[in-house]
Amino acid sequence: MSDKTEQAVYEYACGTEPSSLNKTGGWRLAAPEKAKRLSPCCKDCLLHSEVPDWMEAVKGGRWEEAWQIMSRTNPFPALTGHVCFSPCIENCNRGRLDQELDIPTIERAIGEWRFENYQPRKGPRKIKDPVAVVGSGPAGLSCAFYLAAEGYKVTVFERSPIIGGMLALGIPEYRLPRDILTKELAILEEEGVSFVTSRALGKDMQLPELASEFREIFLATGAWLPREENIPGADKKGVYHALDFLSMINTREHPEIEDPVVVIGGGNAAVDSARCALRLNGVNHVSLVYRRSRAEMPAHPPEVEAAELEGVELIFNANPAEIKAEAASGQVESVTFNYSKTNREGLIVDKSSTFKKDCGSVILALGQEPDYSVFNNLDREMAIFAGGDLVSGPATVPEAIRGGRLEAMNIAAKMEGRSGPEVPGFSEQPVGFEELNLLARPDLELQDRQKEPGPEAGRCLGCGTCNSCGVCYLFCPDVAVDWLNNSYELNLDYCKGCGICVVECPARALALEGGY
Amino acid sequence: MKITDYTMENELMYSGHNACPGCGGALAVRYLTRALGPNLALAITASCWSIIAGAPPLTALKCPILHCPFPSAGAVGSGLRRGLNAKGHYDTTVVVLAGDGGTFDIGLQALSGAAQRNEDYIFICYDNEAYMNTGMQTSSATPFGARTTTRPYPLFKHGQKKDIMRIMAAHGIPYAATASLAFPQDMENKLKKAQEMKGFRFMHVLSPCPPGWGTDSSDTIHLSRLAVFTNFFPLYEIINGEQWRMTYHPEKTRTPLKEYLEAQRRFRQVDEVTIEALQEEVDQDWEGLLKRVSTSNAEK
Repeated sequence: MSDKTEQAVYEYACGTEPSSLNKTGGWRLAAPEKAKRLSPCCKDCLLHSEVPDWMEAVKGGRWEEAWQIMSRTNPFPALTGHVCFSPCIENCNRGRLDQELDIPTIERAIGEWRFENYQPRKGPRKIKDPVAVVGSGPAGLSCAFYLAAEGYKVTVFERSPIIGGMLALGIPEYRLPRDILTKELAILEEEGVSFVTSRALGKDMQLPELASEFREIFLATGAWLPREENIPGADKKGVYHALDFLSMINTREHPEIEDPVVVIGGGNAAVDSARCALRLNGVNHVSLVYRRSRAEMPAHPPEVEAAELEGVELIFNANPAEIKAEAASGQVESVTFNYSKTNREGLIVDKSSTFKKDCGSVILALGQEPDYSVFNNLDREMAIFAGGDLVSGPATVPEAIRGGRLEAMNIAAKMEGRSGPEVPGFSEQPVGFEELNLLARPDLELQDRQKEPGPEAGRCLGCGTCNSCGVCYLFCPDVAVDWLNNSYELNLDYCKGCGICVVECPARALALEGGY
Repeated sequence: MKITDYTMENELMYSGHNACPGCGGALAVRYLTRALGPNLALAITASCWSIIAGAPPLTALKCPILHCPFPSAGAVGSGLRRGLNAKGHYDTTVVVLAGDGGTFDIGLQALSGAAQRNEDYIFICYDNEAYMNTGMQTSSATPFGARTTTRPYPLFKHGQKKDIMRIMAAHGIPYAATASLAFPQDMENKLKKAQEMKGFRFMHVLSPCPPGWGTDSSDTIHLSRLAVFTNFFPLYEIINGEQWRMTYHPEKTRTPLKEYLEAQRRFRQVDEVTIEALQEEVDQDWEGLLKRVSTSNAEK
């Protein structure tokens, strides 16, 4: 056989034209499409942060992208990574496999990345109308961040000499290292936010004068008033309110605390106060007394466990009856408690059974409430915005941040004459563990939490969000899923609509749609 | 090699081939060309793939294909190998692709001859358990209880599926293995292992056929997986016809056979009693396999 004939035979055997001339997409009765479903972490997140999306970016080492996604809902990931109680972890589907994803650590890592890589915007910026933010807590700072990002000239007023509100004065240093707040504030100042300290609304300035100077006003003064409970002797020497005590600790004012200490209350402020008091010099014994049972405590359970480990004595079902003081010095010497319990009608106090607890100091953490006097002098024509604890009552840092963000968007919308943002509702059910088709991922290894953020983010199963596992590409009989640069593209020219990719997708990030 | 290490350049199969949506056979060839290519010559006997590969000048594969008559797969492979050797193309891998008809029934004598001569190529049987291309006629690979067009509803096939792996093992060939589409990594490892060997190598791939089995086209992988989990189609390899080795042991994922049967409409006439009998049979086969595996381990 001559070479020429052989070549012709070879070409015939090989075929001269690829079958891709044949657009088999026309056979299709249904088409796969990229879909996104709610993940459990996203549903539980108080900030509605898109956790699987930034997890995917961190996994790929794309920190800038991770920050962009994060900052859509959370401008201070380094802060929340420390102080948030992370409800996102509770229903993490990875927990059913080996161990829940360490979401706060990666959140912090994104914040730290930003501290190192922040660059002020270059060139002149068009400065829009001035906005006043009253209160520099998480809600105020979050609102200032988003308004400054939109180009508004924001001035934040703070009544105390220290900026940060609850972040600086309420949260103990062991829960939030102070340099993180300092770095966040430095970036905010670079972004054009100005801060005015020691100016209290209602005392040093009034709403009408603010309104004449600024186009819009956002009030986020928080909930700082201690709730008044009529306990006889609460005005004695040596009795502190929890927030005053925490503020003194945080500003290093050294409150006069004498051993032993009794903390009354069951919220996070009570637990923080107890743990702070135990850290003071000369304090050896701290008891935390709550009038209901342990299960009914509003404080975050891991914090209570930590307090218990540190040596705080926990006493439950005891209602304070009277605080007694020494007649001579006026210093407290004991607290009398009645046994109490809750039933359907509420708290039942058994006045007949009492016990006495000797003490040197008492910290009252019976809850706090917003100070509504900031709304004095509000006339009917004046429209102001308010958010954070001032509106919701005492809540958490992430909830305040979310409130600040939503109000910032409302304020910007009002000034620009458009309607406010739509707040996404979460009626949808999140992707459950049973729905994830993990059988399709033989490459998935059981592993414990990793130290580095990259590998740890790689453990994310990406419930409802594509995490580039490549299963759709692997199982396509028509080579109609293009796999390029670790991501996939559906090639609908050739897809016959068999639906294997949709059924096999481990993350449930594909859907089959009827029709073409 | 991880899934994500592949790129589109590894693909030796073009889109736009003529397979039905959700075809297991198309997927099997996609995996095997990717694992064995690109220096590959394929002989395809009459089967679905005669159609899937496309009418000239169209072709679905980026390697030469030699179409051949139904009973001759084994012989054509031998000729192709020797021809390539004569031309000096020793490094070209020769693969013969046949359906279950071309392996279990019509092609068995040529296959047996080639195996006995220990010809140097890889024979791959993609088993869709009937003559699907011509219209779902019963073959000796059809399992008990399945309806086909030659045994239509309410009739069903009587008699067992031929145990082709033991037939091949009896030939004492260097390598024989089963593979499932739901375990692509396992299949690829086996193909790579086979490629490095000399002599006659055989692979049996279960490839679900949505129209023939009466299943949803999206269930192809799910069914392949179930077949392994129910021990209906265990994954193992046989070296030199005597060393049996399991490659996947469904300890944690063991599933009752009922689930596999009920997912397919071709088994709809099978009643509870028959299902139990089938389950018993599958269990017996599994025990037999385990015994062969353990005895060959003991000998080693």
